[in-house]
Amino acid sequence: MKKITRIFVLLLLVLAAALAVGAQDKDFTHIEAILKRLDEQSRFDRTDFSALLTMIVENPESGIEKMVVRQFRRDDGERFLLLIQEPITEKGQGYLLEGDNLWFYDPSSRQFAHTSLKETFQGSDARNADFGSTSYSDSYEVEGYMEGVLGSFDVYIIDLKAVDDTVPFPYAKIWVTKDSELVLKAEEYSLTYRLMRTSLFPKYTKVGDVFIPVQLIFLDELVEGQKTQISVSEISVSDIPDHVFTKAYIERVNR
Amino acid sequence: MFLTMKVAFRNISRQKKRSFLLAGAIAFGMLVITLINALTGGVVGNIRDNFSHALGGHVFIMGREWTDAGQMIMKIRPDGRLDRLLEENAAQIEGFTRRSQAMPSLIFGSKQTMHLLYGVDFEEEDKLLGSLAVTEGSLNEVLTQDDVIILPQPVAERLGVLVGETLLIRLETLTGQQNVGEVKVAALIEDQEQLGLSASYISRSYLNALLGMDPHEYQLLNMFVTDLDGVEIFARTFREALRNPDEQEEVEAEAEPEVSVTVGGMPIDPLPQQEEVTRWEGTRYQVMNINQIMEAVELVVGVLNRVGLVIFLILLVVTMVGITNTFRMMMIERTKEIGTMRAFGMHQKQVKHIFLWEAVFLGLLGCLAGLVLSAVVTLVVGSIRFNAAPSMQFFLDDGRISFALSLPETILNTALVVFTSLIAAYWPARAAAKLSPMKALSSHT
Repeated sequence: MKKITRIFVLLLLVLAAALAVGAQDKDFTHIEAILKRLDEQSRFDRTDFSALLTMIVENPESGIEKMVVRQFRRDDGERFLLLIQEPITEKGQGYLLEGDNLWFYDPSSRQFAHTSLKETFQGSDARNADFGSTSYSDSYEVEGYMEGVLGSFDVYIIDLKAVDDTVPFPYAKIWVTKDSELVLKAEEYSLTYRLMRTSLFPKYTKVGDVFIPVQLIFLDELVEGQKTQISVSEISVSDIPDHVFTKAYIERVNR
Repeated sequence: MFLTMKVAFRNISRQKKRSFLLAGAIAFGMLVITLINALTGGVVGNIRDNFSHALGGHVFIMGREWTDAGQMIMKIRPDGRLDRLLEENAAQIEGFTRRSQAMPSLIFGSKQTMHLLYGVDFEEEDKLLGSLAVTEGSLNEVLTQDDVIILPQPVAERLGVLVGETLLIRLETLTGQQNVGEVKVAALIEDQEQLGLSASYISRSYLNALLGMDPHEYQLLNMFVTDLDGVEIFARTFREALRNPDEQEEVEAEAEPEVSVTVGGMPIDPLPQQEEVTRWEGTRYQVMNINQIMEAVELVVGVLNRVGLVIFLILLVVTMVGITNTFRMMMIERTKEIGTMRAFGMHQKQVKHIFLWEAVFLGLLGCLAGLVLSAVVTLVVGSIRFNAAPSMQFFLDDGRISFALSLPETILNTALVVFTSLIAAYWPARAAAKLSPMKALSSHT
């Protein structure tokens, strides 16, 4: 009888432990807090931001292409302007984000066309959304996480699921350093949960209170050998005149 | 009248060489206008047929609806109204297809290409499989498996993929999210790129799943009608029957006349209003027909026909001058003959009619010769198969130039020729009729 009681108590303990572990797994409060902080420390709410982006796009069929893009960004009001400076054939093309609307300007036709943040940028592996602030906490919900090591960094590996259709990738996995809370790596998945893109952010710089990656690498996981590398330079947080974030400005710089 | 006709006919056959030359000039004009009309008619027919095949029908129905997130998407859900309409108009429908479509990236290794992909219910569209010219592989698998694809040969060559190998399909769902499918190549087919038909085929339910749609939903309902002349009425029947009550109200509101403001007699237009798209509940249908697409083509063809008509009229004017001169000459040549006829009791009117009948016969003879020549040219040219550039194939019928001449146009052209011949011959005929018999008989000609 005693033996049965002992086994019963043991089973109860195992069950309680399992439930406790399960409950701990489902408690993502601190991970959600990390996502919130990630978003906050990537936003230029108090200052403007401008930089020069040098993009190297490697395509297995068409070879290597270099692009130089001037970026102006103001997160208060969700605005950015991307002006292409190189190659010469695409010089003057621009992307203007005004809140929810993203416009593409083509100087050859002198027309603005509506485009989407979900689209790829100029046939590279970067998406238009990659040039604005991140919004992990609003766009995704935490599905799970684990602790791990990436290179020499202790990281949280967080599984995310999009809360709606507004982001291009329905599922994502991010590697966030435990100490500085920076995203070092991200994997993005399709609706059928197939890995589509891996993003690496090996270098960051701190501008005021904001951390921004100064080297970004995007690997296309579907097309062998397709990747895009972006280097960020000439960073400035000086005020940008309001008229820069207008259609008229893009037209004027092309005259 | 019969006598005058008989004399006129005899006169024509009496001067064979002259008649041949005059009728020849008319025949040349008729040949030019007939060929231009027949060519443009054939081109319009070919473009319409090729468009119909490329687009997969004569009448096209698309459905639009709003998502909860405020995005407009294109899809048609199973709808009793639509099924009922298809049933009620079955006699006028030669065939119909219910397809989904996407323009995905097809990826194999390090190669990728964007290509039109149709999602097809292969059991519903049993004729499609029979119409595809298979170069490699088999179509049997598509009836039993969902994750297999039929690829045009050039696309497979571009990707370097073989039958039995697996390729990736990268596309966006209807709401713009990224998705990837993995499919096996079941068969390669001959490409029909020259007709704008270059497309790959896959099971509709599989493509729907990738697009974020239910298996029984689709995006396009295309119908081939039995009577192409009635396509407008047929399309209108569907358009009106599928219109929702709120759409009806909007259409009526739009029909109200606009109030214009004038200052000092000058109209002042209000600032152009930003077109505001108001959301609606359920599906709204858009019904189009092949004639709406053909409008631009027919406009160009109309210009061509008008150019042809101008050339024809110039040729007719030249011929008219020739006829007038010839008839004046004929009148002088036949002065004595006219005098004799008049002396034996022929009326002035009858003399005039002889000349006019000659003109009519010449015109008809010329028209007939022109039509016969046109028939010969069209038969010879129409039997040659051209290896024209792919873009030109859209104007051809299986590589051949087609000619289609409408009967009203032929009748109109013939009437025009006869009328101008009559005008050309009228004054010489009147002059001949007015000749005094005495003077005519004493003439030395």
